[in-house]
Amino acid sequence: MASAHAGVIAATPRPRFGLRVGEWLNREGVLGPMFVAPALLLLLVLVAYPFCMAVYFSLSDAFIGRPTEFTGIRNFVNLWESDAFRQTFQNAFVFTGISVGFKLVMGIALALLLSQQLWFKRWIRGAVLLPWVIPTALSTLGWWWMFNSLYSVVNWTGIALDFMDAPGPNWLGQKYHAMAAVIVVNIWRGLPFFAITILAGLLAIPKELYEAAEADGAGPVRRFWHITLPLLKPVLGIVILFSTIFTFSEFNIVYVLTHGGPINSTHLFATLSRQVGLETGRIGEGAAISLYLFPVLMFVVWAQLRSVRREVL
Amino acid sequence: MDKISRRRFLTTTGGLVGILATGIPPAFGQKRQISYLCWNNFAPASDKKLAQIGQRFTKDTGIGIRIDHIAAPQQAAKYASEVQTQAGHDVVEMRMHFPWLYEPQLVDVSDVAREMEKKYGPAVASAKETAMVKGIWRAVPQYRTFFVAAYREDLFKKAGLKVPDTWDDLYTVGVQLKKMGHPVGIPISQNYDSISTAGPVLWSFGGREVEKDGKTVAIDGVHTVRMLEWYKKMFRDCMEPEVLSWDDASNNQSLQQGKAGWIHNPVSAYIVARNSKLPSAEGINHHRSLAGPDGVRHETDVPRHIGIWKFSKNVEPAKEWIRYLLGKREVYDEYIMSGDAFNLPAYTNLLDHPVLKTDPKFAALRQEGVQFHCYGWPAPASDKVQLITNSFILPNMVAKAVTGTSTRDAIAWGANEMKKILEKK
Repeated sequence: MASAHAGVIAATPRPRFGLRVGEWLNREGVLGPMFVAPALLLLLVLVAYPFCMAVYFSLSDAFIGRPTEFTGIRNFVNLWESDAFRQTFQNAFVFTGISVGFKLVMGIALALLLSQQLWFKRWIRGAVLLPWVIPTALSTLGWWWMFNSLYSVVNWTGIALDFMDAPGPNWLGQKYHAMAAVIVVNIWRGLPFFAITILAGLLAIPKELYEAAEADGAGPVRRFWHITLPLLKPVLGIVILFSTIFTFSEFNIVYVLTHGGPINSTHLFATLSRQVGLETGRIGEGAAISLYLFPVLMFVVWAQLRSVRREVL
Repeated sequence: MDKISRRRFLTTTGGLVGILATGIPPAFGQKRQISYLCWNNFAPASDKKLAQIGQRFTKDTGIGIRIDHIAAPQQAAKYASEVQTQAGHDVVEMRMHFPWLYEPQLVDVSDVAREMEKKYGPAVASAKETAMVKGIWRAVPQYRTFFVAAYREDLFKKAGLKVPDTWDDLYTVGVQLKKMGHPVGIPISQNYDSISTAGPVLWSFGGREVEKDGKTVAIDGVHTVRMLEWYKKMFRDCMEPEVLSWDDASNNQSLQQGKAGWIHNPVSAYIVARNSKLPSAEGINHHRSLAGPDGVRHETDVPRHIGIWKFSKNVEPAKEWIRYLLGKREVYDEYIMSGDAFNLPAYTNLLDHPVLKTDPKFAALRQEGVQFHCYGWPAPASDKVQLITNSFILPNMVAKAVTGTSTRDAIAWGANEMKKILEKK
């Protein structure tokens, strides 16, 4: 009997090669990394490699097409001596702070409006997205035309309606007006991102909560303050985080509208970085400009994500 | 099928191994091909002509050529990526100081440049200053575009105004022009047209940004005070604040749309008005560049050259292309004529080119007695001088002065910014 049993075991054919590979692939430890590998490869090639190169350039005297030497943090220290850079540093915070603030308030208001029962709701929601969908350089050219000293329809309308005295504000030639102009265009472009994302958050709030609060006699303001806002916090956290990063690194709007002028009053890190790094060939210095705020932004991202995780959990 | 002999087998396989080892295909398989990258010329007909000449070049020499165009603002980024990756076009258009910036990456083309000079006379000073780096031609001068005074001749005649001969004369007529609703249009903003006017004004008043040694800041001199005082009164009495927001095209548009009475710009402002049949075209004309208090006339020149990347594997065919385009008089003439006086020859014996006779309004482009320079003159082109230019320190200094900063403080600011750049390691 025993020998017969042993004979059966000996006769069992070894699984075919294809079957064995299939079994091997079915293991979680193998299949998981295989699925992740293409994305990881893309991240390494398109994100990690350029980022590491940028860090390397920023710590060197890299000049296009010439031998490079490691210089440590000299670029970062030297930058602070430049009036244009200090102005850019200040501009970045003013531009981002005001833009994100307005986008947040207006985004919540727009999302609340869009969540109401409206005629042509789908059309309106689609139309709201348009500024975000149109290529920035193209739409900014439209704004440039509207703010242009020779053809400004903004000034023409203001003068025609007696809001302004001729010839109207010099939108792109006076530093506060120019900063206001680039902020307005950034808000116009970024508002749909806030509105649509917040709208998604609003629609996820259970209606029963509002019904119960209404039954308890809570008015619209209290309902917004005690139900809507607390439940929107995780969404708002993510939206503010993304928008802050996008706004800090804005390039197109400033490049098309003002080129960083007048007298550097609208330069942002990206536009100054291009001016120094590409137009002059000093890519080490250009990389240092674009990475100047990286540690701060990293901390902001970490703190924000941590706070969002706590809210969710 | 014939039987392969041992000798034939050995020679064939030996040859194949050689081809694989060297990477060079056999002669009958080699097709010489070059690629040429240049900007979208502001005179579009010039680009069409270039394409036609390229086709003829292929027919005549058997060398294929692919001509790509790129918008001027994207040139710097494109060139940087080609140099960093050591791959891309064989031949590239070099604007102004580019040969200095990319010097280690450019082939020595002194042989071709000397041939051109032998044929057409020395290259104009601005072309030589920018294309010859430390005694070696890193690019061959191709053509030039310079700034010129463009004015509304009809308005001047109507008001009995005298065509200005000096920058101070311009103030006198500018006051009248502004009263007539046709102000002077000189941009004072972060663009290259602003530098292109501020430079000649500064030079004509005897000043300069950086000394000839390329290391000493010279902007903090008495000549700059005079220049800024001139700009202040011009801004106050002859211009409108809109010039603080202008880009490179704004002064053209202001003249073309009938607003500005006088601008300082390449001849393209008139050419576009004429070709687009704008009502203002009839009244526009040009006059000789203005002189400073000592009668010296300076003008901004924008020379363009052709260079060959060192990583190119087709240096000789590339040189053949340059010789074909620039070295054959009939081809060069044809190319220059297509540019409608926007692209003028870069060699002294061709300065009175027939293209200047194609329109009576090009007569002033002969510019007798005018010295032409590139940005930053007399300092030799370098990355630091280029950074001073690209940081728009000169126009920003002027902008500060005309918007309320004292002349002394504006100059101190400009000098300090320039010093910090020149002191960089």
